[in-house]
Amino acid sequence: MADFLSQYSIQRWMEACPQGYLEDTVFGHEEGLAEPPELLDNELLLESTIGSTVQLVVGERAALAASSGLVNAAPDYASKRFLATQTLDEARHVEIFTQRLYDLGVKPEDLESTIDRFANPNLVKFAEVLLEKVEAGDFVAGVVGQNIVLEGMAFTVFELFEAASREANPKFAQTLTGTIADERRHVGFGENRIGELITRYPEKKPEIEKMQKEMSYHMLATFADAFSSSGASIEEGRRLAANAAQAEGKEAANTNWHGANLAMASPDELEAVLSDTVLGEFKVRLGRIGLEYQSPLAPV
Amino acid sequence: MAAVDAAGSDAAGFEPHGLDEDEFYRRVQSFSFWFEAVEGYLADRPYGYDPATVDEPLEEPRRQAVITTLCNYCVGEAAALEASSGMVALAPNHNARIFMATQVADEARHLEVFLHRLRELGVEDPETEVAQRATPNIVAFKERLGQLVAAGDWEAAVLAQNVILETMEFTVFRHHSLTADPITKQVLDGVVADERRHLGFGENDLGRRLFEHPEHRPRLTELKHELDALVLGSFDATYSQLGLDASERPDLGRDYLAAVERLGLVS
Repeated sequence: MADFLSQYSIQRWMEACPQGYLEDTVFGHEEGLAEPPELLDNELLLESTIGSTVQLVVGERAALAASSGLVNAAPDYASKRFLATQTLDEARHVEIFTQRLYDLGVKPEDLESTIDRFANPNLVKFAEVLLEKVEAGDFVAGVVGQNIVLEGMAFTVFELFEAASREANPKFAQTLTGTIADERRHVGFGENRIGELITRYPEKKPEIEKMQKEMSYHMLATFADAFSSSGASIEEGRRLAANAAQAEGKEAANTNWHGANLAMASPDELEAVLSDTVLGEFKVRLGRIGLEYQSPLAPV
Repeated sequence: MAAVDAAGSDAAGFEPHGLDEDEFYRRVQSFSFWFEAVEGYLADRPYGYDPATVDEPLEEPRRQAVITTLCNYCVGEAAALEASSGMVALAPNHNARIFMATQVADEARHLEVFLHRLRELGVEDPETEVAQRATPNIVAFKERLGQLVAAGDWEAAVLAQNVILETMEFTVFRHHSLTADPITKQVLDGVVADERRHLGFGENDLGRRLFEHPEHRPRLTELKHELDALVLGSFDATYSQLGLDASERPDLGRDYLAAVERLGLVS
């Protein structure tokens, strides 16, 4: 265990992250990049983008509260040190997605009211289930909830957003690339550290599996809400992307993500591929740490 | 990473006077600003020192003294790590929350560099050694700080951690650095640079709060007296462990009390 945890030291983190893939970035992206004007000038698209960015801020705020709260519950200094780096990573994510809201025109004094207006209630419940475990000082459940379930979801959502933004919005895509690299580290820690603890405390399995089922339900409900109201903005985004490509004499991006053509898939198809991908990841990762994936109820 | 302020200049040439108060706090309490600050004194210094530095062989009594001292520093840093992580949830706004998250990583780094130095000094199991050599007063301070955080008392926690504990460490580390071996000295100097930032946050945050809510002053003054006793007691206990008699002891207590007094927050 000691060798594995030495890979998660502050020193390694400094070299890999701020001195590594974040070197020469400003709020996670290359200096000088901006949100595309066609997004900022389009009311429908702008509101939808603010809404989706708010969900990222809500998720990252939950991750910041959870990772900082777990430092005290960690059973050894090495885990505390890793969670300290994760705390700072999550704070950075809060900062860069909050900055994106400012870049999209949200005034700092309107930040909290904007978040209250757009935050998906199911995502808030998802966070509450996790933070209940953290507040109870339950390290094993907290790390599974945070580093497997929350991070697993965030990782996949970020990958989808990154694939969808790569051509049309390089600023946002770059911001996501750094967060994906962070999340990969966090998920790796969760799998390695918790597998050993689950073996040591098998009696905790049922409670943790119940938490995963509950969190998964709220996650699916969040996806269902998000995609049910996104048809018009998705179409508008595609129309603008096609116009921009035509103006530059190029073909419109035809990105394939886990079998779905992001330029053509319907909102229902996108929701299905995202849900299936996240749940598939959960099954694999939970299996690796000795937990059995619990299928959530289908949200109404 | 280049942190760019509202006026377009980076953190190296940071010009705070052109910013309004909210924008100022957003900048100085951000991840970007933190990274610009630490990069200046931690770049190319794995575990807090230049790897080209030649380690000075220490005679056994001195080696033991350094080990004892570092073990007590580790308790202080573990206290700060656990407290600052708990304080992320208590922070009254997002700027303070992000600053506290940077402090969590700083404190974890301090713990890491001290534990690493202990290993270099021949300690095989630093965590056990820390538990054995820690003085009761510093352990009591750690417990008290944890209680304040667990009670959700932001003002008391800022006083205990970002004013009292940071001032104590700032005073002790600077003093120790004057006589330390070359590697320990570099490690301490990097930690002191962080402590200065943390202390600045504490002074600023608490100063504003006490200005707006002077009714907090009496209870914080009482808390300061309680914690002063633990700080001074930990100095004495460490000197005793080191076998120093009264004439050989630096007057860290006086320096510490004077430093806290200068802040003028509570007296």
